[in-house]
Amino acid sequence: MTPAQIPLEAWLLFAAPVSAILFGFFVMRPLAPEKTHWPILLSCVIVTIASFRLALPVLMTGQSFDKNIWQWAVAGDWGVAFGLRVDGPGMAVLTMVAFVGSLIHFYAASYMKGDPGFSRFFLVFHLFFLAMIGLLTSNNYVQLYLFWELVGLASYLLVGFWFHKESARKAALKAFLTNRVGDFGFLLALLFILSIFKTSHFNQIYFLVDKGFHLEALPVIGVLLLWAACAKSAQFPLYFWLPDAMEGPTPTSALMHAATMVTAGVFLLVRSWPLISAVEWLPHLIAAIGAFTAVGAALIACTKKDLKRILAYSTVSHLGLMMLALGLNQVGTAVFHLFTHGFFKATLFLCAGNIAHALHQSTANVDEVGGFRKAMPWTYACFLLAALSLAGVWPFAGFFSKDAILDAAWHHGGVYAFVGPLISTLSAFYIFRMFFLTFHGSRQEQKGLSAHPHEAGFGQVAPVLLLAIGALVVGPLRHGVTRLMFFGFQGLPTGWPGVSGTLNLPGEVFLPEFNWAVFALGTGMAALGAAGAYYLTMVDAGWDWRWRGGTVERVFESDFGWKKVVDAVVRGVVGFARFVGGVLDKTWWDGLIEGGASSARALSERLSFLSAGRLNDSLWWMAAGAALLLGRALR
Amino acid sequence: MNLVVWCVTGLLFAAGLAMTVLRRQLLAMLLGIELMVAAVNVALVHQACLLSDAQALAAVLLILAIAAAEAVVGLSLILRAFRSDRGIEAGGFTELHG
Amino acid sequence: MTLWAVALAGAVAVVFAGVMLFHRSLYVSAVCLLVVLLQTGVIFLLRGAPLLGLIQVMVYAGAVMVLVVVTIMASGGGAGDAPRFADFSFPRWLAFLGLAAALLEGALTLRGLGSAPVMVAAAPGLSAAFGQALFTSYALATEAVTLLMFLASLAIAPDREAV
Repeated sequence: MTPAQIPLEAWLLFAAPVSAILFGFFVMRPLAPEKTHWPILLSCVIVTIASFRLALPVLMTGQSFDKNIWQWAVAGDWGVAFGLRVDGPGMAVLTMVAFVGSLIHFYAASYMKGDPGFSRFFLVFHLFFLAMIGLLTSNNYVQLYLFWELVGLASYLLVGFWFHKESARKAALKAFLTNRVGDFGFLLALLFILSIFKTSHFNQIYFLVDKGFHLEALPVIGVLLLWAACAKSAQFPLYFWLPDAMEGPTPTSALMHAATMVTAGVFLLVRSWPLISAVEWLPHLIAAIGAFTAVGAALIACTKKDLKRILAYSTVSHLGLMMLALGLNQVGTAVFHLFTHGFFKATLFLCAGNIAHALHQSTANVDEVGGFRKAMPWTYACFLLAALSLAGVWPFAGFFSKDAILDAAWHHGGVYAFVGPLISTLSAFYIFRMFFLTFHGSRQEQKGLSAHPHEAGFGQVAPVLLLAIGALVVGPLRHGVTRLMFFGFQGLPTGWPGVSGTLNLPGEVFLPEFNWAVFALGTGMAALGAAGAYYLTMVDAGWDWRWRGGTVERVFESDFGWKKVVDAVVRGVVGFARFVGGVLDKTWWDGLIEGGASSARALSERLSFLSAGRLNDSLWWMAAGAALLLGRALR
Repeated sequence: MNLVVWCVTGLLFAAGLAMTVLRRQLLAMLLGIELMVAAVNVALVHQACLLSDAQALAAVLLILAIAAAEAVVGLSLILRAFRSDRGIEAGGFTELHG
Repeated sequence: MTLWAVALAGAVAVVFAGVMLFHRSLYVSAVCLLVVLLQTGVIFLLRGAPLLGLIQVMVYAGAVMVLVVVTIMASGGGAGDAPRFADFSFPRWLAFLGLAAALLEGALTLRGLGSAPVMVAAAPGLSAAFGQALFTSYALATEAVTLLMFLASLAIAPDREAV
């Protein structure tokens, strides 16, 4: 397929953001920085429309394409080509990312107004958007790694956006370095893939794995990719950067750490599913990690006081749910949960942003809020919609995705059957605790707080409202999304039209569509959680403060001790680095080199008497030389 | 006879060389040079008389004259050096000055 | 007989050369060199080059070395590190040795004026050939050396500043 046959929308997917960023940087930033967002918002709209137009044919007819556009690194007959892959999983996630991302861009235009780094924010934010688009449409692992790294870079720049704050700087560095640790796994996996499969293109690898080649290498590659996904998608053991990444502005938290960047890890696993499912025990590992993280993070989320951190731990928990779904061989379900999670989590974050903005802070604490429902009605409504979606109440979108996961867990049996309902309860508990503490309860004046919140402006309410509506209505799209999954995994030939069809995903297990028992269980657990939250915040209002202080709080603060472990590891590594730099490098190696220099200097000082210019010495050497010559001559 | 003269010549030449190289005073070096020339003259004269070589004797005379001239010039240079601040020993003359 | 005379002169020369080398006083070294050059002149005489011997004694030892010795005396005797020699004293035993050597050589020479000459007779025609060589083959060299000696005398012309 020639480049000319690639549809215009695919070009626009990249051309619009790139030109918006370049235009914004070179033209708008020097001239009118407070208007930098105009070309960027325009590009968002273009990208959203383009992604929908691209996704529609894939959904309807399964026509997808995978085309190499440009040879990047060539060595003889081996090289890495960059190209475009428009297929089911990519389009499923891209439509969500484009839509949610565009709405968050619009939100940010009014949220970030007045900030001195306004234009920088938008440029980096859009760069992240571009990187995410690139990640989702990559057709080989190398390109995906490139955009993966770019996403990590944008995360660093955005988390550390308010770089005057030391906590923001440290959080940005923590996020970046932890992702780096994961990226190392990705790099190793990439090198393995390149050396074993001799190619990194997805369709070729799918083909090879399908035929059964190189199966013995897949466990290592799978584990390394899982390591990378754990870092990016904040799973145990590398999740701890995500709560601290809330130091970034709220649009960042909403877009990156709820809807898109953290889902890149799950997306990587989805793309690599043929490789992972070929290893017998790897999906079980993924499910175990996901379940463990989901429960642990949900427990911690119940105890946090900072609004954004509650949501951060909630994100970690839901990512764990997605991993659990993947591990139970439910790829479509996992991606659909990713899809709906993007909507309701973004809504929740933006509502938290509205609250913080109303208090003229960057984030809000449960101690500072209370009874906001009268002052901020729109935010209240959106939050309620999103909370219900998160808790998995029918007919909200979150119900459809969560119910499917609970279904799969129940059918799988074992510990996961127990974990599913537990997560339901805990999710409902923490989100409704947040809800009641923020919007109900005693008004602020009674608590002695002085700030008077008011509803946010149109620019901040409208996107949130759209997202909340999305959190309500996208449930029925489950079929579409799952169907899109089918169109992703056969080794697609690089021709148009591509192969369509309803090939089974490797390892996809079909479940009955709807199970009343699970429905009842899930909803019942959610109701239990919500009721518990109501009781402990409204009825027994002191509970939230009573158990604090002492060992229990310390345990939760340190994430059941995991933060201490990480600190010890970091200290060990830093100590080792200091040893290498201080002792090995400075003392030994530099000493060696300096010793060479100083011994040369000492030697030359000793020998300097030879050229001291003394007449007698010269005469002596002349006589000696003459004697030597004479001796030779007389021989 | 040959042996005696060559021994004398050798010893005188060695003494002159040692004088030049080992002593620090400039005048001492000059004396050493003069001694070396004299030693060579002895050897030349001996051989010339053995072989009845008149031209060698003429050469000896010329050498004698040149050595005298050189001694005078050397003396005046040393006197000039005495007048400068660098002292009268070779130790002071380690660099080329104006 | 010549052999003994030459050996004596040589031995004396070597002894005085050794003293010259090792004595701390520059004045003493210069005078020793003077004696060495005298002995060398004697050797010239004994070997049959009388003109050269006389020139050596007159010009070299007599003029040049005396100039050197006087210069040394005028510049303080070079006794910078040996102040006890600043009074231009000459070791007595050395003087006796020189005197004894001169007497002995004189005696030997006089003895040979009789039957067995100590001095080797100059080969017949050697002197004539010597003179001829000087003014024919080495004429240019001779004139050059003469010029050189004139120029060398300029070296002792005083500077305008120095008096």
